[in-house]
Amino acid sequence: MTDSADVLEDVGAFTADQVEILSTQRVEPEWLRTQRKEGYRVFAETPMPDTRPEEWRYTPIRELLDLGSLRLSGERPAITDADQLPAELSRLIGAGGESAGQIVQVGASVVQRELSEEPTSQGVIFTSLEQAVREHPELVQRHLATAAGPGEGKFAAQNTAFWTGGTFLYVPAHVRVALPIRSFRWIDEVSSSLFGRTLVVAEEFAEVALVDELASGDFHAPTYSNGATEIVAGEGAKVTYVALQRFGRGVRHLTTDRLVPGRDAQITTVYVALGSDVTRADIQCSLQAPGAHADMLGLYIAEGTQHLDHETLQDHIAPHASSNLLFKGALMDKGRSVFRGLIRVHPKAQRTNAYQTNRNLILSPGARADSLPNLEIAADDVRCSHAATAGQLDEEELFYLQSRGIRYIEAMRLVISGFFGEVLEQLELDGVRQELIRAIEAKLYATRQER
Amino acid sequence: MAEPLVKIVDLHAEVAEDGTEILRGVNLEVKEGEIHAIMGPNGSGKSTLAKVISGHPAYEVTEGDVLFRGESILDMEPDDRARAGIFLAFQYPVEIPGVSIANFLRTSLNSHRDEDIDIFDFQDLLISKMEMLGMDPAFAERSVNDGFSGGEKKRNEILQLAMLEPTLAVMDETDSGLDIDALKIVSAGINQVKQEHQNDMSVLLITHYQRMLNYITPDFVHVMLAGRVVRSGGPELALALEEKGYEWAKELSLA
Repeated sequence: MTDSADVLEDVGAFTADQVEILSTQRVEPEWLRTQRKEGYRVFAETPMPDTRPEEWRYTPIRELLDLGSLRLSGERPAITDADQLPAELSRLIGAGGESAGQIVQVGASVVQRELSEEPTSQGVIFTSLEQAVREHPELVQRHLATAAGPGEGKFAAQNTAFWTGGTFLYVPAHVRVALPIRSFRWIDEVSSSLFGRTLVVAEEFAEVALVDELASGDFHAPTYSNGATEIVAGEGAKVTYVALQRFGRGVRHLTTDRLVPGRDAQITTVYVALGSDVTRADIQCSLQAPGAHADMLGLYIAEGTQHLDHETLQDHIAPHASSNLLFKGALMDKGRSVFRGLIRVHPKAQRTNAYQTNRNLILSPGARADSLPNLEIAADDVRCSHAATAGQLDEEELFYLQSRGIRYIEAMRLVISGFFGEVLEQLELDGVRQELIRAIEAKLYATRQER
Repeated sequence: MAEPLVKIVDLHAEVAEDGTEILRGVNLEVKEGEIHAIMGPNGSGKSTLAKVISGHPAYEVTEGDVLFRGESILDMEPDDRARAGIFLAFQYPVEIPGVSIANFLRTSLNSHRDEDIDIFDFQDLLISKMEMLGMDPAFAERSVNDGFSGGEKKRNEILQLAMLEPTLAVMDETDSGLDIDALKIVSAGINQVKQEHQNDMSVLLITHYQRMLNYITPDFVHVMLAGRVVRSGGPELALALEEKGYEWAKELSLA
């Protein structure tokens, strides 16, 4: 065995040739082909992380993800009739509330897209990322993979090399899109790999909300989702991004998400992790401009043997910026969660306000929550705090509910819904909030059915 | 003669965790529609009796039985007992952050009926009960007991009583921690609910003090000491206790 074989691991279907093939098939511009190849180089040269680095300590990704067992997702033809969509996906789309537009990706391809008249006439662009590369190359080139590129680790690099389909949302200056826009990503094949990518660019004082819904049926063998999201908000813009993850069993979902709010801009994110066997979401907000603000919210429910890991960074580079993070999780059975959050305040980031809270509700003796909040502060005039708690369903609380005739599992459902209320009430979009509540209830009811 | 609604026979119970015996042979019968007051000093076991009737997991019954409509309920889970018609108003109602009273009550009611009540029917019912109790409908939107004053918590218990319409209402020191105005309001609420149901509802009032019995007239008064009912009588027993104190009752029990 040579030295290089130690470094170059089994990449399975993820070969350099595949990158060339998919770029050539799409007749991509040279800059993108180069970007993909750079992504591939970093992916191939970076070993699979073991559990030695702190950020992978609680998620043994080498054991959980075997790239050699996977293949790339196949292309899917565009569809004109909703009947042609997988039935479960149709139901999900139907259950979503009102929207200004929607895009649907199945496997490697975006198969459906629509944007209502008003935002279209206002210059809003909402297409697959592939289409945006063809139609708005300068716009895409300016932002794509600038925040979630190869430099962000092996998996962001892999996505940069292999993404297909994708979602691109551009909102011109001073345009406000009142209704949320929805993007659905569906995995339809066992052992396949979906590389989704979302790029949102909101110009000055624009306002928009995007809901990314990730879902699939259950799979009997490991199946892979590797996503990346970049959200760039210009001066005074207001962007809400909701990621609702409802993958089925078997799915390993990794995502590398980067938020970049400009001067006086506001980005609100809500990460709701309900599905998958393994989720690893690496979410960073880079506060590079004064007055920038981020609300980073998260909810997760792990049951069975689900393993849900959220890594967050509130990176305060500019002065007078603020960020507020609240992640809450409920753990059942042998479900596990990891939350590792860092507030980093750079020397010049005076007058920073940054808060970080992670709370977990542990509902079974076999469940486990690892919570590691952290502060790294190099400025002296700041207000920062972090907190982590793990609570249990208190016997007295349970007895109180049961003494009102409420059955054990229903009592759990009620307590969990109440526990999550603190997060959901921060979301201004009523329709989206209702949808999240329904998704959470559906998960809790499904859990109940199995008992 | 009609079967009593509740028949407690030689009931012994201990704290499950450490085996401390609290109830040492309680005997009690409550017939349909009757109001019984159980009085006793701290540590006499009166609140434990309330919890054991409702199935609190912290206590273990070691001997004796609790019969409800002639059937033992000791093997029933707390929620089964509740659906069978037993209600416990808590001395210390529990806070459930993020769950509105309306949501909580609707979930309870659905569990009792084993089918989902129509949302509009539910709203009508809730508003009518709140009106009866002189409560502001906005109250139902607040999280259950979260940040409530002592009086609000107890009124919330009475609202639940009114909504769930049990056949046996066990009121565990509902008067504790209330000032006289709050006590009047809460007592009036219990009377209203009781009046609505007459013989369909029996009440077991557990109290340390006689003062609540100025507002709610019991048919029978029982005195508990050291885990037993030592004396039973009519409302005059409560007055005698008020006057002479529990020391008097202790002497009686030794005599």
